Parts: sequence; C-alpha cells; structure tokens
Amino acid sequence: MISPRVIRNLKKQFRSSLLPKVGLLLVIGVIIVAVFAPLVAPHNPTTQNLDRTELPPLGFTKTVNDTSAQMVDGEVETVTEVTTVNATLSYPLGTDGLGRDMLSRVIYGARTSLLVGVLGTTLAVLVGVPVGLIAGYSGETVDDVLMRLADVSLAFPSLVLAVALIGLWGRATVSIPDPFVAAGVASGMPPSTTLPITVVIVVGLVNWVWFARVARGEALSLRKQEYVKAARALGASDIRIIGRHVLPNAMTPIIVLGTVQIAAIILLESALSFLGFSGTTLSWGFDISQGQDYVSSGQWWIATMPGIAIMLSVIGINLVGDWLRDALDPDIEGEGGT
Amino acid sequence: MSRETGIQSRSPTSAEALLSVRDLSTRFFTEEGQINAVESLSFDVRNNEILGIVGESGSGKSVTALSLIDLVESPGRVTAGEVWYRDADLAEEYRDDDSVAVDRDHVDLRTVSDRVRRGLRGPSFSMIFQDPMSSFNPSLTVGEQIAEAVEVQRRASATPRSTRARTQGYGFGRFIVDTLVPSRGYVTTPSKERAVELLEQVGIPDPTERAEEYPNQFSGGMLQRAMIAQALAGEPDLLIADEPTTALDVTIQAQILNLLRDIQTERGMSVILITHDLGVIARMCDRVCVMYAGEVVERGSLDDIFERPTHPYTQGLLGSIPDVQDPQPRLQPIEGNVPGLLDEEMGNRCYFADRCPKAMDVCLETPPERDARGSSDHAAKCVLTDREYAPAEALPETHFEAAETRGETDE
Amino acid sequence: MSLGRLAIKRSLQGVGVIWGVITVVFALRFVTPGSVINAVAPLDASQETRQAIAAELGLDQPIYVQYVQYLADLVQGNMGYSYVKGLEVTQMVFQRVPATVELAVAATVVAIVLSIPLGVLSATRRNSPVDYGATLFSLGGISTPNFWLGVMLILLFAVQFDVFQTSGRGVTSVAVVTSLVGPEPFVATLLEWLSYITLPAIALGTYFVALITRLTRSGMLDELGKSYVRAARAKGAPESLVRYKHALRNTLIPVITVLGLQLGTLIGGAVITEAVFAWPGLGTLVIQSINLRDWPALQGSLIVIGTAFVIVNIVVDIIYGYLDPRVVYD
Repeated sequence: MISPRVIRNLKKQFRSSLLPKVGLLLVIGVIIVAVFAPLVAPHNPTTQNLDRTELPPLGFTKTVNDTSAQMVDGEVETVTEVTTVNATLSYPLGTDGLGRDMLSRVIYGARTSLLVGVLGTTLAVLVGVPVGLIAGYSGETVDDVLMRLADVSLAFPSLVLAVALIGLWGRATVSIPDPFVAAGVASGMPPSTTLPITVVIVVGLVNWVWFARVARGEALSLRKQEYVKAARALGASDIRIIGRHVLPNAMTPIIVLGTVQIAAIILLESALSFLGFSGTTLSWGFDISQGQDYVSSGQWWIATMPGIAIMLSVIGINLVGDWLRDALDPDIEGEGGT
Repeated sequence: MSRETGIQSRSPTSAEALLSVRDLSTRFFTEEGQINAVESLSFDVRNNEILGIVGESGSGKSVTALSLIDLVESPGRVTAGEVWYRDADLAEEYRDDDSVAVDRDHVDLRTVSDRVRRGLRGPSFSMIFQDPMSSFNPSLTVGEQIAEAVEVQRRASATPRSTRARTQGYGFGRFIVDTLVPSRGYVTTPSKERAVELLEQVGIPDPTERAEEYPNQFSGGMLQRAMIAQALAGEPDLLIADEPTTALDVTIQAQILNLLRDIQTERGMSVILITHDLGVIARMCDRVCVMYAGEVVERGSLDDIFERPTHPYTQGLLGSIPDVQDPQPRLQPIEGNVPGLLDEEMGNRCYFADRCPKAMDVCLETPPERDARGSSDHAAKCVLTDREYAPAEALPETHFEAAETRGETDE
Repeated sequence: MSLGRLAIKRSLQGVGVIWGVITVVFALRFVTPGSVINAVAPLDASQETRQAIAAELGLDQPIYVQYVQYLADLVQGNMGYSYVKGLEVTQMVFQRVPATVELAVAATVVAIVLSIPLGVLSATRRNSPVDYGATLFSLGGISTPNFWLGVMLILLFAVQFDVFQTSGRGVTSVAVVTSLVGPEPFVATLLEWLSYITLPAIALGTYFVALITRLTRSGMLDELGKSYVRAARAKGAPESLVRYKHALRNTLIPVITVLGLQLGTLIGGAVITEAVFAWPGLGTLVIQSINLRDWPALQGSLIVIGTAFVIVNIVVDIIYGYLDPRVVYD
C-alpha cells in the first residue's frame, strides 16, 4: 500500500504544482496551532475584559456614535458623541463582546475543530469500514440488509440528523487536561480542553456510510479476484483474507476519503456550534454566531476572523486531499459529501 | 533536425495522385522531451487504390493518419510538411490566394485555414478507428450519430464555404433545448433516413431497428460496420482505416475486410489501410509503405514488398510470419525494441541499425531513400538497395549495448 | 429494462426506505433522555395534564401497538399535536415547506445556471485566466461555511450597502407569478421578492456553484480526451456540437449523480441558511423545536425532510436513467 512507487508519485505530484505545498503548509500550520495552543495564544481565550470589549483588529479603528438627547441652550437636541477606539497591539485581532481576545479564541478554536474532525472521522472509519467490508465480502442477504440500513441512514441530510440527535441526546462534554498547563509551561491558560463528545459521536455516526460504501466496493471487487479464491481454496479463514488482502487495497480510497471527511466534519462541527448545539463555546462556529449580532453595528471582526480560520483550514485539507488523490489513484472521485 | 529523404525526381505533386504527402513531420512536446513521432514523411495515395501502411506499435503510423486530417492533439503538433490534395474546385478557389499553395489541381492543405481543413472531413477525408466501442458516444443511439455525420455533410454542401462556421454552430442554448425537447435536434429526418440507408449498405440487417439502438447493444463486428457507414456519410474521396480489424475476432475480420474492399471498388474510393498485420496487407493492398520509427523505410507494390523485400526490417517482419507451407522449427523475431523517439536520443543514423542483423559501418549515417529492384514504385531507405551486405564491415554487436547502458532507463 | 420499469423499481425501493425513515423517527422517541412524556409535554405541565397526554398518546400501550397507531395516524395525515405551540404538527410543518423549497430551488437554479457554463468555459480554455479564476473560486467555494458566507453577505450588502434584506421572507414566489396577471405591480413585487431571497440563495448556492463548476470542468476534460470525441471530430462534426451534444452530455451524467448525493448537503445547508437569515422554513422549525423541546414538531419535520429527500433521489435516479442508456439497457 505505501509502496515506493506511491511515495515517488507523492513527491512528483507535490513538486509539480504550487497547490499541494500551500495545502500542506496550511494543514501543518493548523495542527501546530491546535496542538500548541497554550503556547501560541497571547491570552487566555476565556478571560473576559469588560473594559476592553469590542476592540477592533490591528489596522482598523472603531467609531462609536453615542447619540443622546441633551439640553443645549434651553432646547432639547440630539447630540452625537463620536468616539474613535483604536486597536491595541496586545489584541491583534480585536476582542469580542465580552472583551475576550479574538486571536486566542481563534487559536483555541482550532483545537476544537481539529479534535472533532479527527476523532469524528476515526469513529466513522471504525464503524463504516468493517460494516462495508462485511457487506461486500459476505453474501447477498447480509449485503442487502446492511445497504438498506445505509440507505435509511443517508435519507437524512447529515446536518439535520446531527441536529436532531444532539437535540435528543444533549450536549455532553469531556474535559481533557491540558498537558502544557499541567507541566507549568503555560500559565494563565485554561487548564483543560472541553471536548464536545456528543458532537463527536453524532458526527461520526452521520458519516459512516461513505466509508462503508468504499470498503464494500473494494471487498466486492476483490472477492472476485483469483488470488482470493485461491486463498480460500487453501483454507484461509475469511477474516484473514479480509485483513491481508482486502484491507490494504481498500486503504487508498479510504485515506483519500478520510481527508475529505475531516474537512466536511470541521464544517459540520462549526455549523453545529453556530446553531448552539455544541458543548463548548470555544469554537469557531460559536464565535461566528456571536459575531452576527455585532455585524449590524459595524463590528465585523468577531464574525469574520473565525470564518477565515475555517476557510483556511478546509482549503488546506482539500488541497492535501487533492494531492493525495492525484498521487495515489487518479480514478477516485473525491466528492464524498457532507 | 531534419533528415534528407533523398526521394529523387519527385515534383511537389504527381499528377495522378489523389494525395501527396511531402516531408511531413509531427512532434510531441512532452515533459520528458520532444518526441519525433513522424519524421519527414513522404508518400502518395493514388486514385482508386488501397495503400497499406504497416509497422509495429510506435512506428508512427497512427500519428500519420491523424496528422493528415488535423486530429493530432496537444502536446502534439504537425511541425512541417506539405499535404497536397487534388481537388479542382478547391484549387480554383484558392488559385489567386497568395497565402495558399496551389499546384495545378492540388492544394497544400497545410496552408489553408483550420476551418477549411476541418470542412474537408467528411466530404474529402474520413477515418475509422481501431476500437468501435470507444469510438461511439455510449449515450446516443448509433443511428443518431451516423445521422450527425450525414447532417454535417448536408449543411456543408448547402452553404457556401465562407458562411459555414456560422450556420454550423451549436451552442449551449441549443443543447438545453435539445435535451428538453428531443424532437428539435441537430439532425433532421432526411439525415436519419439516410443513416438507415447507410447501415443497410454496410450489411447490417434490420437497419431501421438497429439505428435506434445504443452502441453497447451492438457486437464488435456490427459496430465496426456502423463506423464504416458513418465514415461513408460524406462520400469521401479518401478513407483512412486505422487498424480496423485488430480488435475483432478473426472470422469477423474477414467480413469487415471484404466489406471494405467492396465499398472501395464500388465507389472508386482510395483507402489508406493502417495495420501491423501483414496478412491483412497481403489480402487488401495494392501498394504498401513500411514504417519504422516515424519514417517510411520501404515502399512499393504488394509484389515488391512480399517477393523482394530489401530493407532488413521488412525482411524481418516477413520472417516473423509463421508459414504453413514451410514451417520453421522456430520463428524469426526481430531482436530488440522499437526506439522511444525522443529527439535527443535519436542520432543521425539509420534508426534500425541497433536491431538490424545486417548493420554495417556505413549505417551510422542516415541512409538515403533509393529505388530498389522491382516496380518503379519500389524504394527503400537502406544502403542495401545498391549493394550487398558485407560481414567484414558489420557493426560490432556491442556498439549499441554500450550506448544503452549509458542512456537513462525510462520509467 | 425500460425507463418505465426503472421508475417503478426505484419507487418501490424508495417506499421501503421511507418506511425505514418513519420507523427510525418513531424509535427516536424512545431514545430521548427522560421519559417520553417529559419529552412531549411542556415543561410546566401539571401532573394531570401529563397523565392526560400519556393516555392520549397511548403511552400505556405496548410498543408495537403504539407503532401501529403511529403508522395509522401518518397514513391519515396526522403527525401529532404540538403541546408547546398548541397546533397540529401537520399544519405547522406543511406551512413551512414552501419557503424551504423556494430557497432550495432558487439556490440550485442559480448554481446550475452559473456553474455549467463556467465549467465548460474553464475546460475548453484550459490554463487561461478564466480557468485559473474558476479553479480558485471553486476551491474557495467548497471550503467556505455557508452560514459564515451568509453573515459576510449581510455585512457587505445589508450593512455597508443597504441593498438587500437580511431576515424574513417578504413575498412568496407564487405572489410574484400571480402579480403578472393580478392587480399588484409586477416589477415591484419581483424586486421585493428578490430583495429577500437573493442573499440567502447566494449563501446557500455558492457551495454548489463551486462544486458543479469543479465537476463540470474535470468531467469535460475527461470526456474531451476520449476516443469518441476524436471520432466525432473526424467525421466533421463542428466543435460546438462535439462540445455540447457529446462531451457535456456525458459529463452531466456523473455530475447529476453527485448532485443527487449532495441533496443532503443542500437541505442541511438550507437549515443553516434559514437560521442565519431568519427564513421561515422547515429548517428554522427544526431548530426551534429542539430548543423548545417540541418533539412532535421535530418528528414531523424529520419525517417530511426524510421523505422528500428519498423522493427527490428517486427522481434523480430516473433522470439519470434517461440520460445514460447504459444504466437502463445493461
């Protein structure tokens, strides 16, 4: 599966265009930011600074129009006091409505997105691939039943299903202690990361079908191959055959699909937290929904910054996914949707 | 780099030739380098004859065919040469046009505009390909596609050349309309009827029903007949058949070849028959060109080639045929592989020298093409036209091996 | 098999899936934390009300009886009663359907109209500025969360330039059509409709413009390299015929498949877009129901969404069968 030819292909594709490089750069950037968040972030993202609310990002100023009715020369007039608020270097991306640093929030938001993305995809793979392999490898009846199940699962748009499930099961979270804070290296930062576990489970459940389909396809085509028949004739057990023959061949499309899915799940998670269905408020989607309230008064950065972060992450993952797909197998359609 | 072909006493056109190709070169500009697929190629196609072009894969025979009707796709391009086509009307039209080369009744097609050249596809030239199943659009009926060919000709002959581009158009809007309202399409009812007629002419039973079927419902042989029918829609002067029977069963091959011959005789068409199969050549052709590494290495009448092959490559090809009458204990294959045609690797020598059992020192220079024994058409690009093979001057076998180990292994 | 038989076969399969959908939604009722009664009744209901509700819903019956009752109700068009809002769920749900459909259709139409020509142009003028622009745009488009795009659009067009409306629906598309013949002025109605629907449609549709452009481009490039295209050119067919009637037609076939698969994304996207723009459709109903713990309304919405999805997929399958005869005649 990771043969020398594949590695050579990867290098060749990487060199041939600018896009894979940009993608890899972005992805590595996101990973570093997410993993080392306590060290990278300038402030604690949850600390509120009520005297520093709604600061604009560097290079911009905020104008506050304070309109009030006042007595001027015995008459009532509306007076508008215009105050200009400047950006501060210590809050480069500005602050939100509660005075929390946007840059730190964006950095910590990467943690949430990445955690949910990776864990969710892993869950989808762990559920989907075995089901798909069994469906493809066993006989007609098992295949039929499992595929009907898949059809029903797909009958719901994933966002709707996710929303419904979270609505029903609640927003449970798991606290993961932050190793950097525990080691005393990052003082003042949140001591633990809140992982919205229900979201992870839901997101994984909603997406298992794509992996099942791919695995099933591979199992189906490989079942007919001569060497599988030969292995069976020699008495090898089915599980062994699946493990040694079917699985390695299926890895390629699964890997490509996996990258696409991580991107899709990041988008899904941000949508869920935008709607308020996540267990954690330290999330890009949540900040965007907060920011929407401030847009009408001209404070655009609260909503914009997290969105740019999402875009960059997803673009990076998509570019890497394209690179992998072109190198590993140009025949795969990488559009396993949301 | 250009090579002297040394064809003696050939005017740009021979009066009786339907098509005269002179010094045609087609190159492919790829990442690995420039590939000289066709190298200064010259040949004539006469009226009412079947000209065979024979060679292994990689000899450039298919690219030659595509070059003739301007179907070479990037990164390839016809880089040099003249293609003189005899058409009195066309010659008259462009006689006073300085940008177009005209010689009596012949026009050099490489000097006319793209549009005019494309307009010749159908009424002047047409082509059939090796694999009929991939040469038809799988989502349209066979009848529809043949009718398209008919319709193209109908519209072309109905409008003068200058306005052709406008009336031939078929835009995106048209596509939407067609998909939603299938009855108002590009093809007209007379074209469809003519398509059925053509299917009948190529020997397809129940042509009306079969015209409504899709390509995947046809057998290989039937579909090849359909492709021939499509090629005949414009009543071309020249039909180019690129390996028409290679993908078919042996029994079907015979049927298709017979069909081709019948059509050729009935219509007095000329045919360029491209194949690697000498049996097909023997059966069908009047004259033959043998190609190797993008060049014609030997040409002549059918008799010349089979009875008096002069070039060692031709001899090798013939020696590779199993002969029922005279069975040898072992076949005589030609050692080695066809060259890769990369410009930087091709030297100025006889390209066959590295595989030639009769290679001599003098073969390290480019051999000129000279007349050989036999008919006046017989010529070969080999020094053996004039002299015998002398073992004393033979190239040592190791001469090319050293070059091979020095060269790069391609992946 | 013919197209008709394909239609029937797919429809029967679809019925099976719809039944599965209904059953799953039924089962969800029992998966809620806490008892079902707590799930259904408003939080401040008294004990007597709860008992009354329990009796009414038949919650004291065995499960299979409840299930049969549930199915029977559905067949009669009764999706239950929302105790939170005090309305019949059926009425609530179907009142909202037109808005969502309108938004989804608008986004899809915009997407198709923009993206297919762009994709074709991109493929036929490979590596030109148009191509690069289209490729970059596509990459951005599929990577942008549509709710964020919506907020950005609001920021730009409604706050900076006060051109469009940012919430609500205004007039319906039906009203626009009727104003062609009716008393209201057509242009004014049309403009008002546009002012409300434009931003949501763009927010929802952008992802699909990007996706379809990408697919069309790569599909066209694939097709244009195939043998039958060369053969078509060899017979003298004009380039535009080759491009559209042959290559594009075959390109659209897999594109339609992907679109069918992406319907889920469309509906999910619609839910979110509705939330951003306060568009009164099924999506906002779903979210509202969850926040208000109005499970009957949620169930009803889910059933309608699931069923609609299955039906549209069947239609897409049939269209696919019409376009690609290999599916039908193999």
